[in-house]
Amino acid sequence: MNANLVVDAKGLSCPMPIVKAKKGMDTLESGQIMMLETTDKGSVNDFQGWVKQTGHELLNVQEDNGVFRFFVKKS
Amino acid sequence: MANKRVAIIASNGGLDSAYKVLNIATAAASTDAEVAIFFTFEALAIIHRDAAAMLTMGPGKEHYAEGFKRANVPGISDMLEMAKELGVKMIACQMTMDVTGMTKEMFIDGVEVGGAVTFLDFAYDADVTVTF
Repeated sequence: MNANLVVDAKGLSCPMPIVKAKKGMDTLESGQIMMLETTDKGSVNDFQGWVKQTGHELLNVQEDNGVFRFFVKKS
Repeated sequence: MANKRVAIIASNGGLDSAYKVLNIATAAASTDAEVAIFFTFEALAIIHRDAAAMLTMGPGKEHYAEGFKRANVPGISDMLEMAKELGVKMIACQMTMDVTGMTKEMFIDGVEVGGAVTFLDFAYDADVTVTF
């Protein structure tokens, strides 16, 4: 999946992945896609809540060797 | 989507309290909520220019320091900067300032001074209210 923006939040703990997601999203246009990488296990649930509240669309979540990749489409 | 509103009362000092307050505040603001924090009593240390020296873990909580480093948690000044960037409104309690002799100049930029009603005016329409 191609992303318009890649945000690295690996090694950061809560709430930094969400803060970085917000900042990343603010730079995108509606319909564009952000790929954000984290290692924070709590971020898996946090992103579900974040898209529910912000209205963005969580397209896909992948896990690879402890790294979570979230693909989010801007509303 | 209608924005949520989060009203936070911070009344305790200490480094752990500072993190509790600022984590919730920045997470909420990053989730597109409108956030205000009312800093009262010991919590005024959190927005003090000398916060780094004034905020400590306190007896019995020293073990957190190492964990904070390991978990790569940002410093309080970075958290405050982020909160400001995200539009978090910070209100310092006028009454506590009068009692302790603190002035607005002792606080970081962007802090406004107000009384209980300044906070309540915001909090009456809040979806979430938390106290630390």
